[in-house]
Amino acid sequence: MALPSLRQFLLLVLAALAFSLAFYKSSRAPAPAPFQWPTQILDPDDFVAKMRTRFVSPRQNVSTHAASLLEMNDGRIRAFWFSGSREGAADVEIRTAVFDPELDKWSDDVSIVDRNTTQRALLRFVKKIGNPVPLRTPDGTLQLFYVTVSVGGWAGSSITVITSTDEGTTWGPPRRLVTSPFINISTLVKGSPFAYNDRTIGLPVYHEFIGKFGELLRLSPSGEVIDKQRLSSGRLGIQPVMLIKNQQQAIILMRHTGTSQKRVIATATADAGRHWSAPELTTLANPDAAVSGVALSDGRILVALNDTEMNREVLSLAASSDGGASWKTIYVLEDQREQITDPVRYLQLSEELARATDSNITDPSAYAASAQRNKCTGQSCQFEFSYPYMIQTRNGDLHLVYTWNRSFIKHVSFSSTWLIQRLNESAIGTSPNAQLH
Amino acid sequence: MPNFTDLTGLGSTAIAVVAMLMQIPATAHIPKVRLVVFLGAVFVLSLLPFGEMPITAYIRGVTGDLSITTLVLLLNVPVTKILSQLFPRVGTTAPKARALLMLVAFTSAAFYPLALGIGMFDPYRMGYGDPFFITALLLIILFAWFKKSTLIVLCIVLSTLTWSLNWYESSNLWDYLLDPFLAIYALVSTTRLLGRRFLNRNPLHKSSKT
Repeated sequence: MALPSLRQFLLLVLAALAFSLAFYKSSRAPAPAPFQWPTQILDPDDFVAKMRTRFVSPRQNVSTHAASLLEMNDGRIRAFWFSGSREGAADVEIRTAVFDPELDKWSDDVSIVDRNTTQRALLRFVKKIGNPVPLRTPDGTLQLFYVTVSVGGWAGSSITVITSTDEGTTWGPPRRLVTSPFINISTLVKGSPFAYNDRTIGLPVYHEFIGKFGELLRLSPSGEVIDKQRLSSGRLGIQPVMLIKNQQQAIILMRHTGTSQKRVIATATADAGRHWSAPELTTLANPDAAVSGVALSDGRILVALNDTEMNREVLSLAASSDGGASWKTIYVLEDQREQITDPVRYLQLSEELARATDSNITDPSAYAASAQRNKCTGQSCQFEFSYPYMIQTRNGDLHLVYTWNRSFIKHVSFSSTWLIQRLNESAIGTSPNAQLH
Repeated sequence: MPNFTDLTGLGSTAIAVVAMLMQIPATAHIPKVRLVVFLGAVFVLSLLPFGEMPITAYIRGVTGDLSITTLVLLLNVPVTKILSQLFPRVGTTAPKARALLMLVAFTSAAFYPLALGIGMFDPYRMGYGDPFFITALLLIILFAWFKKSTLIVLCIVLSTLTWSLNWYESSNLWDYLLDPFLAIYALVSTTRLLGRRFLNRNPLHKSSKT
């Protein structure tokens, strides 16, 4: 056998170096870890059944969508959403405002990031931005994941993240996550991120390029993607929402994207996400629209969703006491089915709805005009109450935000006592006096 | 201050731009000094900001970071030429890319459909440091080394090395090994090659020629 040439020998040396480093890097990957649980309920509410609604921001004549929430260290709530002249326009910004539960009032909203600041920092062209979702990392900093598109529509999305160390007042430079092998396109966020016990982060994401399917990313504490798992395949479901029941058990609900059997998709784990069950249809109706939810500390599950097979004119709260096997609607938040939707009538109805949402607003007709701008085409208008995002705060209160006619973000807050009353009225759960905290 | 991975991403895009210009046959007729000055100027200009960003940032926005394999293929012929001119006694010739392109084509044909959502198995997941995947790559390069398929060894080794050193913003080894542009090129060239072989072996085709 002939001896290898010097070039062949050097190649072998280089290979030995490369693979030694690769195996070393592989050996340092974090092991599977349990979910971070329980969410501590520190300060139970005053046991008053209260439920209030208001708009997050009064900005008018803009297109507004995809709100999300995060509880701040001082108990206030910070909201994020995107807004601009229209969805996908170059002037769309991610905006934020803070809700003070003591004052029952939202602060003025401000822009935190836009297309230009994103592309300058990423050193790559960015055409549009969207869907922000926040996370408090185990070390206390805030991370905001949002969608960026360089080419095409939302199918061309990738995920970008910014970090704040001052509760969201200021944000660091954007950084992009690489999550897909096809020019890193078609990964989007909608569901709440969560933490594992080892300080790594779970980020539910979805693809809608050739396939439409959910995935779960695992990020290192420094934000590097270290693993991902497929939750569904083909074109079945998107926008996974993680509902953690304890350190090992969780279910994920997904928006159904199929054309028949329009039901929310669910998959479950009993080993902290190492394995997930095959995705199944639940009994929850779903018109190809986003779902949000909270796993309550007594084991019941609460979701907010458009529980119809068509359109997004109805938004309800539904609950399950058997891990998602059966569901009951416990409260209807919005219902504008079968309304006459010519522009004049739409304007009247929208004005009434705006006034009912917040009696303090002085210009409900302007709110209605904004809704008309975004939801009327010619002589046809349509109501839309969509993209819910719900959290439970440390005092047990629940906060829900959703898109109101693509024009405003509506905020619904309710105490756990109010929720227990609704659950008991609907006979959800075995104990009529069940406490949620 | 840009991140290290932004600099490597932009630098790789600029190198790819220069390497593609060198593939144009007309560049062979340009005197060497002028060619070096021209390509050097293209490299620098592509990295200088015009308006908000360098031109390479716009290209990178569309293409993403090109795989190491693509860069090696683009630089294979020009770098070998330069080396052979610098060391004329060695007189090296560029390694043939045929075996590498076939490997890329067959891998891509299986990899992309699965990674883009067909079925529940996602091979892309293995790129986050799966030891079995790294072992499989090691076996491939050992086999290729014995077969003297230098380019296969070089591409996999450099991809693995750069992934280990966090060269790009991607933490997935597949993004260093493959990219869709390379996959399309490899699939087209392999299909053409296999088509030609099939036609040459087909007696009906031969007889119809005579």
